[in-house]
Amino acid sequence: MKIASIRHVRGFDVARPVSIGVMLGIMLPLVLLPLLSIFIYGTNKGLGVFWSSLVAPDAIFALKLSMVTSFWATVFNVFFGLFAAYVLSRYDFWGSNAVIVTISLPTAIPTAVAGFALLLLWGKYGMIGKFLSEEQQIMFTPYAIILANIFVTFPLAFGVIKPVFDTMSRSLEEASATIGATRWQTFWHVTLPSLRGAIVSGALLTFARAVGEFGSTILVSGNLAGRTQTAPLYIFAKFNEGQIEAANAIAIVLALLSFVIFSVLFFARDWFEFEAQEV
Amino acid sequence: MIAKMALAPDVDPHVSWAPEREQRTGVAASVQGISKSFRKARVLEDVTFDVAEGESLVLLGASGSGKTTILRIIAGLEQPDKGRVILHGKDVTDLPARERGVGVIFQAYALFPRMTVEKNIGYGLKIRRRPRKERRETVDRLLKLVRLEEHRKKLPWQLSGGQQQRVAIARTLAYKPQVLLFDEPFGALDAQTRVRLRREIRALLRQVKVPSVFITHDQEEALELGDRIAVLNEGHLEQVGTPHEVYNQPATEYVATFLGAANLLLGVVTQGCVEIGSARLPAAKETTRFREGQSVKVVFRPEDVCISQDANLPEGCRRLANGVIEEVSFVGAYERLNIRLDLTHGPQAENEAPLYHVIINTPERMTGVPIMVTRPKPEANTTRYKAGDRVAVGLTSFSVLPNYTLARQR
Repeated sequence: MKIASIRHVRGFDVARPVSIGVMLGIMLPLVLLPLLSIFIYGTNKGLGVFWSSLVAPDAIFALKLSMVTSFWATVFNVFFGLFAAYVLSRYDFWGSNAVIVTISLPTAIPTAVAGFALLLLWGKYGMIGKFLSEEQQIMFTPYAIILANIFVTFPLAFGVIKPVFDTMSRSLEEASATIGATRWQTFWHVTLPSLRGAIVSGALLTFARAVGEFGSTILVSGNLAGRTQTAPLYIFAKFNEGQIEAANAIAIVLALLSFVIFSVLFFARDWFEFEAQEV
Repeated sequence: MIAKMALAPDVDPHVSWAPEREQRTGVAASVQGISKSFRKARVLEDVTFDVAEGESLVLLGASGSGKTTILRIIAGLEQPDKGRVILHGKDVTDLPARERGVGVIFQAYALFPRMTVEKNIGYGLKIRRRPRKERRETVDRLLKLVRLEEHRKKLPWQLSGGQQQRVAIARTLAYKPQVLLFDEPFGALDAQTRVRLRREIRALLRQVKVPSVFITHDQEEALELGDRIAVLNEGHLEQVGTPHEVYNQPATEYVATFLGAANLLLGVVTQGCVEIGSARLPAAKETTRFREGQSVKVVFRPEDVCISQDANLPEGCRRLANGVIEEVSFVGAYERLNIRLDLTHGPQAENEAPLYHVIINTPERMTGVPIMVTRPKPEANTTRYKAGDRVAVGLTSFSVLPNYTLARQR
């Protein structure tokens, strides 16, 4: 049978259900089933087991630690990304392109390499770390986790904010200046409001990525339960110990969290576009 | 009529939007010897002009003539290489834009997209930390002035182009600007809206009496908006004058051709006449500033040509030459004639008919100098011409300009 002949059967476009079906068929074992299995296995011993695994002190601690370290990394990277985007889109200087590439580099580096690099710098025998006293050591503390999170999520907020800066009309800022505003007033009243959407999505992206960070964290944190163990490390540790339920409970929380964040990002796109229309 | 309707009827005429301290007449803004280059390219060359109190001056020029750069230099958004900017007697050349108190109406209005209409208008007073009550009162009065009271809570994108423009103007009036600068204010609008808004703005400016500088490339806009027009060509001023002056007595060929259509004929000054080929155009007054034998250009508008079929030209019309009508076309409000002038016929013989047989338009031979002539409808309706008619051609008004061989030989 010729391909062309199966395309239409009495006015019904066969290609439509077939192509949608094939697409979902490919996604099913690769993406959908793995996600589904976390929820199925996580709850098949009853919600009670799930709940008690979730409220175990170490689990709570790991989740909290993940949230807190990711939060501070996000705060830092959004501020830095905003600042760097402002500098790099406003001023043209020698080497500015090299700076843009350097800022974007951390996404391309394997996270284990990033963690290793941080150890070499901050570790007890590292370039900076060797000048720190025993009490001042940063590695294997929550601060190391923040440092690792900052490193691996460094370009995310910048990458979202910079294009908005670039496309923003200069005449808005010029108008503000001729009206009598200082640079700071202009930034606060005119520039920043136009960046609201980009800042929110940059922050969500950074946070989502930081919460799930594993490769660099496991190297710099020391993976000490109840002290420096983040949620992904907790999953890994519990799985190794054979406590599948404990690992699974946290996995569900993390999966739900990223699901929520990406839904917000996805549906917020309409909101951002609406905002862009106003500009 | 439209202009009258555009005005809010009950706006208090005693409220002035111009700064208080200069109710006196005089020079509001002065640009003195401004030169500016970008990289190696000269954009402005020794530009000097004044804007009087309450006056509106139009900077007219083609794109790339440097008119936007002048505006930006006055506003303080660009620094001149040479020259000074004086606002109400104060040298502001070294002041940043925010300390100059100049109102700029940007081409796309540059309204703040996240602020409502009233917040946009109140912005200038807010950053000046004026009391809330004063801010509210000023905004209310301005909203009334620009007739946007019912739109005060809207965001800029919810307004039409004309409304946005009025917000932009009100936003600058709030802080009583030294001078208003309009950057191609009607560039983004369709032809009809453009004409309407032009009249609205003209009426508004008459009311607020703030000196203004417009920049535009549209000659019609310049003639209608400007108390005076400054014609800019490749970075230097060609002429500054009233619309009447620049249109009827263009100082240079560029001005003559940029503002409306113009015919140009080359000639030589001879005994109070301009000799153009074989024709002699009496021009005693126009040629006084030239020496005998000097090469000149005669510039005249299509509507300043009178033609007649019986060689009797009307009173006040100076005979130029005979010609043949080549084409008659109707262009709405007026009729356009393409005429070929015979400028090779020798001095007229005694017994020759005034409208001698001119043959300048045969398939084998095309001589004669083409000119363009327009006639108003009533005249076109009473005397009809067709292609091939022989006519006597005269001029009611024209200007004589020096004919420099090199453009820079001024």
